[in-house]
Amino acid sequence: MNDTARFVTFPLGAERYALDSNQVKELVMPSRVYVFPHTMQSLEGVLVRHGMVIPVCDLRTAFGHGGERNLYMIVHCNYAGRAETVAVPVSGDCALVQGERSDAPEEVTFVAGLLRTGGRTVPLLDIDRIMAHCMQSGMAFAGEAKR
Amino acid sequence: MYISHPAKPVAATVGPVILFTAGAVRFAVEASEVQEIRNSDERNQLHKPKGTELIDFAQRLGLGPGILERFVVLKPGECALGVSEVERMTSLPKAVALPRLFSGAERQWYRGLLLLENEVVPLLRTEYWRKPPLPAQGSESGV
Repeated sequence: MNDTARFVTFPLGAERYALDSNQVKELVMPSRVYVFPHTMQSLEGVLVRHGMVIPVCDLRTAFGHGGERNLYMIVHCNYAGRAETVAVPVSGDCALVQGERSDAPEEVTFVAGLLRTGGRTVPLLDIDRIMAHCMQSGMAFAGEAKR
Repeated sequence: MYISHPAKPVAATVGPVILFTAGAVRFAVEASEVQEIRNSDERNQLHKPKGTELIDFAQRLGLGPGILERFVVLKPGECALGVSEVERMTSLPKAVALPRLFSGAERQWYRGLLLLENEVVPLLRTEYWRKPPLPAQGSESGV
């Protein structure tokens, strides 16, 4: 199945990935992350946008690398059958592109398909599956508040 | 990608809360759930005659042993949270639910999050803290 739509591409570590633009709510400048004791390994804390409290999820649990963080990508996902909003730190080199989506040739973890754009092929992330993976409970307290 | 117009949060106000710090983190507890606040030198008056369980709150949350300057005695007086500082009381803060992605033990620890002026502060679920700690959590119990 191929279809053309708009996507957001962004780097995670050395690789570049994409999300369907409908899943990306906005890109925001770094703001204060409020931290408090909790048990979720991938969650750093929360940030506040327009009066909404949004969890901040570090994708290192899924991808093993964090890298620079110059922006937060606010994304929609489905977690445990319900719509959630989560902030994902990214390096900032994000682009809104048009491209053609196709199925991945084989099952690849966290990849929902492939995006062909500008002569490149970029893995399209399955954000729901990533969130399900990241939401493992374990004692993981984030220490001091960061800005 | 589109410019977002997020729905207004479902924020409710709660009654007056007492703000305190433990392990350099700020927390809140509803004032109506607090029986009294005692100084650390009064711990014997709490523990021995009354049998109040004294909890190192910071340690129970994995923040390491706390500096216990005050004890926040929860109603009906069976349990007191040892904290480093009781800061102030504030009225009618906005409260929001803990985001569902926080799906571990923190859902028992906190009722929700308070949106104060420039701060997000967890609001304690006192019914959890009144209970004795579960051995399976590996958490340190009393002071």
